[in-house]
Amino acid sequence: MLGPPSFIFRSVVRFLFFLVNVFALYLLLRGHNLPGGGFIAGLASAISLILLSLGIGLAELHRVMRFDPMRLATAGLALALGTGLIPVGMGRPFLEHFDGYLEHVPLLGRVHVGTPLLFDFGVYLVVVGITCKVIFVLGKSTQRLVALVAEDAARYASPVERPIEETEEEGGRNGS
Amino acid sequence: MNWPAAPVLLPLVTALITLFWGRPGMARRWVTAFSLLLQFAVGVGLVMSTYPGRVLVLGLGAWPAELGIVLVVDLMSAVMVTLTALVALVAQVYGFIEMRWAISHPLRIPLIQFLLAGIQLTFCTGDLFNLFVAFEMMLISSYALLTLEADDWDIKHAFPYVAVNLFGSALFICGCGLVYSLFGTLNFAGIARRTLEMERDGVVTLVSLLLLLVFGIKAGLFPLHLWLPNSYPTLPIPLLALFGGVLTKVGVYVIIRALGTVLPHDLGILHAWLGGFALVTAVVGGIGAISRPFIRGILSFHIVSQVGLMLLAVSFMTPLGLAAAVMILWHNLAVKSSLFLIGGTAALLNRSDDLSRMGGLWSRVPWLGVLFLVQALSLAGIPPLSGFWGKYMVVRAGLEAGEHLLVAGSIGVSVLTLFSMVKIWLATFWAEPDGVVVRVEDPRWRRMTGVVAVLAVVSLAMGLGAEGFSRIAIEAARGVLDQEGYVRAVEQFLGKTGGVTP
Repeated sequence: MLGPPSFIFRSVVRFLFFLVNVFALYLLLRGHNLPGGGFIAGLASAISLILLSLGIGLAELHRVMRFDPMRLATAGLALALGTGLIPVGMGRPFLEHFDGYLEHVPLLGRVHVGTPLLFDFGVYLVVVGITCKVIFVLGKSTQRLVALVAEDAARYASPVERPIEETEEEGGRNGS
Repeated sequence: MNWPAAPVLLPLVTALITLFWGRPGMARRWVTAFSLLLQFAVGVGLVMSTYPGRVLVLGLGAWPAELGIVLVVDLMSAVMVTLTALVALVAQVYGFIEMRWAISHPLRIPLIQFLLAGIQLTFCTGDLFNLFVAFEMMLISSYALLTLEADDWDIKHAFPYVAVNLFGSALFICGCGLVYSLFGTLNFAGIARRTLEMERDGVVTLVSLLLLLVFGIKAGLFPLHLWLPNSYPTLPIPLLALFGGVLTKVGVYVIIRALGTVLPHDLGILHAWLGGFALVTAVVGGIGAISRPFIRGILSFHIVSQVGLMLLAVSFMTPLGLAAAVMILWHNLAVKSSLFLIGGTAALLNRSDDLSRMGGLWSRVPWLGVLFLVQALSLAGIPPLSGFWGKYMVVRAGLEAGEHLLVAGSIGVSVLTLFSMVKIWLATFWAEPDGVVVRVEDPRWRRMTGVVAVLAVVSLAMGLGAEGFSRIAIEAARGVLDQEGYVRAVEQFLGKTGGVTP
């Protein structure tokens, strides 16, 4: 963490974290017919996580979060692609979406629901995952923390630096 | 009905599977190879169903064509999809042989699949903004691949690639905006119909120039080629074959598609400019290649020269000229990538691809030499190999169009090509210097040579079966130039869905 810990900043961030996420959820749900949607909601959620990382520190956040942002992004991509592939299985064009109405929902009455929400949720997860991964890796490398923890390294790090030249005396790198 | 989307969906699904299945292993490699084989099969299927001049159209999300994005596959796109899948398959299997799974980078397979999805979407799309998205998919994956296993030296040389292409993307999005304000649509068929109806207007030429600039950056047209020759040699060999063989060709394909199908055919001065710059590109690439002392550098600079030759043929804007460009494009996809792979195998045997530290390969591994000779002479345009027929068509189209200077230039460039190929041949295969070790005991080179032989057979077939091959190329070029047919195909699709969401 940068600078001396500030109690006020930490308290405000912990409160804001929930507020920003509620707003992100609102953006996600209204995105079907109005400005908003998965992308912008994902950015809002990612900002909430980045704020939290500023408040409690990256090492602490990593302990609390307990999931790998890249896995989250992959799951989101799978969800979005899967929603697009459902109509293909039914012999309809790729990415076609369906909607309908739910009657007699408590408190809300008649609710308009559709598969675009699933697609948007997939986009949301991709954006949250990728943004967090990028910012966290950059942040860790500037704060002298290890950028990839052991489980990340197994999945994303290269065991070798040089693919071809395995010996020390190497050529081919003398291009101007 | 979803076949036009299949070349894009297969790599995407494969990328997802290999991302979830994150740890390297043999089974993961088999899955990837099988998927690439499937992509190749889909490509062949698309070629067979589009051959007599049919155009396959798919409206994504069942939106009417002008509102939603359409994927359009004609013969040209289908052959590009097939060849790209083939090159990717060969390069990927070569990569598997080169490196044991235990030391391979876990992200390389998924990133290559994302790259392929972007490339195939470029070939299949029928919408300008979607083309931008495809370019971005392709470019972002390529940035990641360029820096994935890189050290500081590599990253320094990869930086111009990233910077120039980011600038190109920014220009492209501006171009999209201008096109939309001018034509009121971003659909290729929509733009083509409007340009057929519209009065000639200077603004159309200006927008075309902007688009040409963007695609020229991607293709490596002089003077926008400077990002290419230093950044490509930093890549590992299998990726280099994929990048050098396919990525810049995507730029050429898009220029052919844009000038042939989308934009009006009488852009006047623009085509003459393209011809002039293309000739300079070809010459600069040829001379630059001679200046490089290592195989990867020579071949990378050569990409620029070949791109110049293709665009030279495009600039004639006659059916024969375009057919010649298409022919060189396809020949180059197979030959260029296999030359990179052969160079990589030679570098494995000599433990270096610096020409001054190589040699003695002809006496120890003659088969590799034969492969190299076939591909190098084909690139230089020696009959009856595949490169010759394309160059012959360029010369004929140029003489018919009365562009004698360009024709003379294109023949001169062939001599430059031959020169640098002979330079590699002499230093690597023919020379027997003292103190150079050839590690024939390394078992990998046999399997690598076997894999590369697949591409050599394809290129030989292109040369010896030039009759049928040029017929396909001429048919594809006719399809690209046939704006009315393209518009009709997309509008028939629009009529089928009735213009409303079903």
